Amino acid sequence: MTMKKVININFQGRILPIEEMAYENLKQYIESLRTYFDLEEGKDEIINDIECRVAELCEDRLKKGAVCISEEDIDLIITSIGRPADFEAQDGFEANTSTNTENNQAQDHTQNASGQTYQKRLYRDEQNKVLGGVCSGIANYLNLDPIIIRILWILLFGISFFAYLLLWIAVPSTSVKEVGGIRKRLFRDLDKKVIGGVCAGMSKYFGVKVGVIRILFLLPTILLIFNWNHFHLFQFWEFNDFNNFFDVTFMPGAIFVYIVLWLVLPEARTSADKLEMVGEKVDINSIKNTIQTDMEGFSKRAQSWGGPFEKKQTSPAANTNTNTSSANTNNTNSGAGGLDQRKGCFHYFGRTITILMKAFVYFILGIITISILAALFGVGVATTGLLPLKKFILEDGLQSWAFIGTILFFIWVPVIGIVTAIIRKIAGYKNSNIWVRSSFIALWVLGWVCLFYFISSVGNSFSKHNQPVEKSVALVNPSVDYLEVTASPKMKYYEQRWFNIEPFQVYNDDTVRVRNLKIRIVQSKTDSFDIKYVTMSNGKSISEANLLAEKINFSLLQQDSTLFLDRGIAITNKDKFRNQHVIMTIAVPVGKRFKITNKGWSQTTINMNHRGIRTETINDFGDDTWVDEWNENWDNESFSYDRGVEYRMTVDGLEKIKSDFDKSNYDNDDNNDNESIDEMEEQLQKLKKDREDLEQNLEKTRAQKIQELEKIDRALEEKKAEKNGVKQNTSDIKKKQQIAVQTPSRLNKVAAVAKKAEELHLLVQRFTY
Amino acid sequence: MDIQNTQSQMRKGVLEFCILSIIQQGEVYPSDIVEQMKAANLHILEGTLYPLLTRLKNAGLLNYRWVESISCPPRKYFVMTEEGQKAYEVLQKTWNEMTTSVDAIITPKANPIVHQADTAQ
Repeated sequence: MTMKKVININFQGRILPIEEMAYENLKQYIESLRTYFDLEEGKDEIINDIECRVAELCEDRLKKGAVCISEEDIDLIITSIGRPADFEAQDGFEANTSTNTENNQAQDHTQNASGQTYQKRLYRDEQNKVLGGVCSGIANYLNLDPIIIRILWILLFGISFFAYLLLWIAVPSTSVKEVGGIRKRLFRDLDKKVIGGVCAGMSKYFGVKVGVIRILFLLPTILLIFNWNHFHLFQFWEFNDFNNFFDVTFMPGAIFVYIVLWLVLPEARTSADKLEMVGEKVDINSIKNTIQTDMEGFSKRAQSWGGPFEKKQTSPAANTNTNTSSANTNNTNSGAGGLDQRKGCFHYFGRTITILMKAFVYFILGIITISILAALFGVGVATTGLLPLKKFILEDGLQSWAFIGTILFFIWVPVIGIVTAIIRKIAGYKNSNIWVRSSFIALWVLGWVCLFYFISSVGNSFSKHNQPVEKSVALVNPSVDYLEVTASPKMKYYEQRWFNIEPFQVYNDDTVRVRNLKIRIVQSKTDSFDIKYVTMSNGKSISEANLLAEKINFSLLQQDSTLFLDRGIAITNKDKFRNQHVIMTIAVPVGKRFKITNKGWSQTTINMNHRGIRTETINDFGDDTWVDEWNENWDNESFSYDRGVEYRMTVDGLEKIKSDFDKSNYDNDDNNDNESIDEMEEQLQKLKKDREDLEQNLEKTRAQKIQELEKIDRALEEKKAEKNGVKQNTSDIKKKQQIAVQTPSRLNKVAAVAKKAEELHLLVQRFTY
Repeated sequence: MDIQNTQSQMRKGVLEFCILSIIQQGEVYPSDIVEQMKAANLHILEGTLYPLLTRLKNAGLLNYRWVESISCPPRKYFVMTEEGQKAYEVLQKTWNEMTTSVDAIITPKANPIVHQADTAQ
């Protein structure tokens, strides 16, 4: 049974007893009319007239004998007068032709039913909800059992909690669309558009002035203009600052967001759309209304679950309820309360399998899509960041354009496309524009073309290698005993750290430095240091490669025993980077020492930004030092070495003298080792003693046992002679056996100890070795 | 071609004329208009009728009068103004001309050109 609260209202000068729910519906309806006729000249008059008419119709109903105005009454009245959506569809009037009634019915369906319509949209399912109805909404959308989504959701709790909140807020509720036909949706407002109407639509949605949204979007551009000196475009290279990509100060981020929204949001074409764009007012009444609907839905659910064998009694009021709940109960009926229980069981089992498979497939597809998206996005950000280096690598003209084309069309277009598609899919905007889609595909194809051209042309640019020519360097004082090779302590104050991708280092606008140097160590035939180097380069042709190799300006400077090398190979934007590198050969005479340092590559960075000037000195580059890891024995002549280690050249090869890298650590380690070896030797001695002791003991015990056994034997014989010692006999045998068992176990123990001792001995030997 | 759109355009065109002609016959209450049109198999929603009436009234073609009654609050009855009468006559003239022309076109006998075209085929 249902109990409904009836209230009295004074409506257009009439006192009407009306059900509370009906009253709420009526209120919403009037509200929707008010929004619809908002732009009409005689808006108030029209609303007033319609209210009058509604009141009159209500009174008619009461005159006919109704106790109060029920929800159905209000529904009928509203249908006869028409909802804003109906006005829109039939703007004018309709003849009672077949096509039109069909049309109208279809309209009603989209308005009232959620389960039967073909237009699938993601809603929060208020009828089957636990928390906010997000899971059951998704389940409805995917035709899955909500429990599966819930389980997945719980499994992924850490990530999904935020997403849940987000979806809770973003996804409209099923209860919203039941009443009045208004819900809030994001549209592009074409009436007030400047570019795409995104800002205008958002302002309608959030109820703020258009200007505010526009400023938020334009802010980055404005900042760019005023602050371009301090603008750290590529700060996202530094890990902590990666967020800057979406920072308001980053204009491409805002543009990206705008483009995605432009593509995702449908334009508000019809008045109904415009109505939706503004949406319903969120006030106490609408919230109360939602809760009431929920409560009613809950009681209905309780009824239907309570009597699974009974056919569900559908009151006319229940029809307005979503069909999803009734569909759900039907399913449970067929599943749990079927006549043939086994069949039902199998059916349920099969269904579960299908659902699981479906969930699995969706899961995999989702992961694939997201990983592709993430990869593309990463590559996109990286390559976009590399743009300023373009002039140092790529030839002007077609190659550069192909590179830009590749970034734009091959990477960013699919990223935007996928993001758009996902959001559209989730939000349930069904009418996808064929033009948009085909232009996406066309652009992507263009991207492929660019990519292929780019790869082949770059490959061609790097295809040939120069003919290496070895050059000798005359040292100022080649006969020093000790040579330390380090980088020249040059510090250009305009070296900026913000672009510090290895192996590139920005020198100034036209020049970058490439840290591409390999140092070989060989034995010198003479008694003085001898340095030779080869410059190498790639190029489109051998002559070009030769030319580029020729242009490499590599200088050395000897000061006493220190040899300063250039910090890198300068590459200008005219000559381009064609994998120029230098191989330097240092011939070290026998008996002399050298060191390739690890330190001394320190670089002082001056950062100028809005926070002021900040200097920072980095002493240790770790593995990134520009001397390459070229320490393998890569030909027969040269020796492998470690950086920061002092070596002496001997006839047989390199001899390590000392290392300034973790010197103290090494010492400690050595001490530890020695200590442990001493300890082990002590242990070994102990164990050896133990072993001897045990062996002696064993001998003793053995002798004792044998004596005992002999005693027993003797006693046995005596007892045998006496012929009545059967019991004793058996007990003696037991004793004997016990002893027999004990002896071998002791022997085993001894053997184990001995083994251990031997192992230790071996270890000690190894250590001492 | 969007048939439905054309249909609704055709209906929309004659809608005001129909309403004016109903009001021209005498003072009416809006729901009576709906009833009369329904009787003629033309359905109109009250929700669309009211704004239309207001528009016509604001254009000076209609006027209204509050009619008191014992049982219920006063109702709004619509009457034609002189201006409305003129407008109605213009519309009626147009309608008559149009029906004749359209009839002439859609009736094959009365149209030799179509006939010829048919026979030619």
